[in-house]
Amino acid sequence: MTLSKRAVWALAVLGFACGIALVPGIATSDFAEDRGLWIALDLVIGFGFIGTGAFAWRRRPGNRVGALMMATGFAWYLSVAPLVDSAFLFTVGQATSNLFVATAIHLLLAFPSGRLEQPVDRLVVGVAYLATTVGALIPMLFLDPVALGCANCPDNLLLVDSNRSFFESWYDSLGVVGITVLLSTLAILVARWREASPPLRRIVGPVFAAGGLLMVGLAGLLAVSIAGAEWQATKTIFYATLIPFGLVPYLFLFSLVQARMLRGGAVGQLVATIGETAGSGDIRDALAVALNDPSVDLAYWLQASEKYVDVQGRRIELPDSEDETRAVYHVTLDGDRVGAIVHDPTVLEDPDLLEAVGGAAALALQREQLEAALRAKVGELEQSRTRMIRFGMAERRRLERDLHDGAQQRLVSLALDLRLAHDMVRRDPAQAEQVLEGAADELGQALEELRELARGIHPALLSDRGLDPAVETLAQRAPLPVEVEAKLGDRVPEPVELAAYFVVSEALTNVVKYAQASQARVRLERDNGLVLVEVADDGVGGAEPGRGSGLRGLADRIASLGGRFEVVSAPGSGTTVRASIPCE
Amino acid sequence: MRVVVAEDSVLLREGIVRLLSERGFEVVGQAADADELLRKVGAHKPDVVVADIRMPPTNTDDGLRAAIEIRERHPDTGVLVLSAYVEEAYAMELVSDTAERVGYLLKDRVADVDAFVEALRRVGEGGSALDPEVVSRLLGRARRNDPLAELTKREREVLELMAEGRSNVAIAEKLVVTERAVEKHVTSIFGKLNLTPAAEDHRRVLAVLTFLRS
Repeated sequence: MTLSKRAVWALAVLGFACGIALVPGIATSDFAEDRGLWIALDLVIGFGFIGTGAFAWRRRPGNRVGALMMATGFAWYLSVAPLVDSAFLFTVGQATSNLFVATAIHLLLAFPSGRLEQPVDRLVVGVAYLATTVGALIPMLFLDPVALGCANCPDNLLLVDSNRSFFESWYDSLGVVGITVLLSTLAILVARWREASPPLRRIVGPVFAAGGLLMVGLAGLLAVSIAGAEWQATKTIFYATLIPFGLVPYLFLFSLVQARMLRGGAVGQLVATIGETAGSGDIRDALAVALNDPSVDLAYWLQASEKYVDVQGRRIELPDSEDETRAVYHVTLDGDRVGAIVHDPTVLEDPDLLEAVGGAAALALQREQLEAALRAKVGELEQSRTRMIRFGMAERRRLERDLHDGAQQRLVSLALDLRLAHDMVRRDPAQAEQVLEGAADELGQALEELRELARGIHPALLSDRGLDPAVETLAQRAPLPVEVEAKLGDRVPEPVELAAYFVVSEALTNVVKYAQASQARVRLERDNGLVLVEVADDGVGGAEPGRGSGLRGLADRIASLGGRFEVVSAPGSGTTVRASIPCE
Repeated sequence: MRVVVAEDSVLLREGIVRLLSERGFEVVGQAADADELLRKVGAHKPDVVVADIRMPPTNTDDGLRAAIEIRERHPDTGVLVLSAYVEEAYAMELVSDTAERVGYLLKDRVADVDAFVEALRRVGEGGSALDPEVVSRLLGRARRNDPLAELTKREREVLELMAEGRSNVAIAEKLVVTERAVEKHVTSIFGKLNLTPAAEDHRRVLAVLTFLRS
């Protein structure tokens, strides 16, 4: 529930006014007992919940705890209202006098996140609201204050029929329900306390303790009243029970102050924990504790490939700004992007803490960043190796198919032709001659195909003379003018030669197929232990390196040699394929 | 005409030897690798050599290197190199600065016995023989402001045959035109390509090649 700050304050002022307005009514009531005490309870408990609730609500608008506190303050006024000598206030107050217990249970079970996380929480709170509203309204139809011995009490405006026995038996049944709800709440609070981490315990401890006492007290009150105890006895228990209830807002304030102090401790502890962390993922857990957000995720920035990865090196996308369920805090170190903390938006309610925690974690994140980068590299290598193997197998299949469909078929038909010619050479020499001529043609084509196939596998000129002349030849055979600047000179290791050769070959093939270029330029040079290959055209651009197996295969081939491969291809401004391969 | 045949595949070598013997050549030596080729050439001083490019010892371009050495050391011996691949670069290296007594053919051409024998004879007699495939690659290179574009279709055909090393007579025969017509085409081609006319066939091959590789 979000309200503007002004509206929250207006609500608080209204709350204070209600508390004060009740004072003269109680003071002049001619049937109420312990008037002075009740005036004090009205103001201390009411102001406590209203004021603290308003403060908490303003401070964390996204958290429902503040709203629940204010609601509890107003509900408290309702239970004080029947003391005023007014039939309306008496009737309304009497019908809702226990509502504050329901809001208190809601508050306790939603503390500190403001949400009812578990289904059992919602069930308990739902029953509590039902019992204190509908459950309390029905007996009002039969409640006659006079019959109960309060002669001066105002009239019950809802009275239909004075029926004391029905009223009492209903209240006894309701009491059993009430005890169940109260004890369930107590059990949940105890369980939650036991699960809580030490820092969380320190925050929720005081509030839970008071709440627990409240539950015990109220359950005891209901138990003795069902047992038919005297009003004096139950009254004492009731007053005693109001002490922990009234303390709840003040303890809450106390825990806020403590959380503020703990923050320094949380950051300190984070620094200490980070110092000890050895394995990957430890920092995430330390941050989750420090930020009190178990959902914290870490993303590491990889400068080289410009993407975020998790600690395992797997690529992840950060949630975008539209996403209301997650928020991102960017961690930098000396101006360099290190990574990001992806967290629950409620953490934003304490930006100072986020800042402090982010700062403390930066160094450690940088360390894990290296690890993540390494894992990402390993992952890429594994993928590229798989692709290389697949690529290799696909190539073999292609070769097999080319051989089978081409040369092999031709040789088979050649064998047939020769057999045919052999059979007819005596009978019909002219015909035989014709067949043999066809066979010779067939043979020529088979040879031609084999030559091209062999060139595709490993160009002879490359192994004989090296890159410079081989690339020259590639350029000369291209159907568009290709300017070559090949200045490698000495031979480089064979795998490097082959990879560089295929970069040029594939790139030129692509230029011819897709670029609609008028010319291309090939550059080959050696620089600092690297062979640099560059093929640029003046075509339409827009080539995607990820698409098509050709460029992909090249990228993998280069990667397997520890080199870099990039394609720059903005639409309309040509394509440049660049590779640098270590050659020492 | 006296020939030394160098080819590491025994089958092919003996095939070539038999074929040449049948066509009236005198095969004075056979070699299975580049070193043996150089030795046999030194010993027999043949008119012409047939050599495979890819031969032991390194199985790369040993044959070509041996051929170039022969051309330097024995300028009177013609050299016809056979290659499994069309590599213009090899042809250019082989020709270097004279197209006299030199040839570069695809291995497959051996099967076309008449043409092969004719080419070998031409090389042995001081001319040149360039594989049509090599020539068409050279002509097919993409050039900016290509002067070849100005040639007529017939002139282009003449240019191709000329680059292969054929004489005007041979060109006229092949294109079924008169020798006179071929001469006119040649003059026109040299004019369009801005080349100095050359008398001998091997000189004009060199002129054309020099033009084509520039």
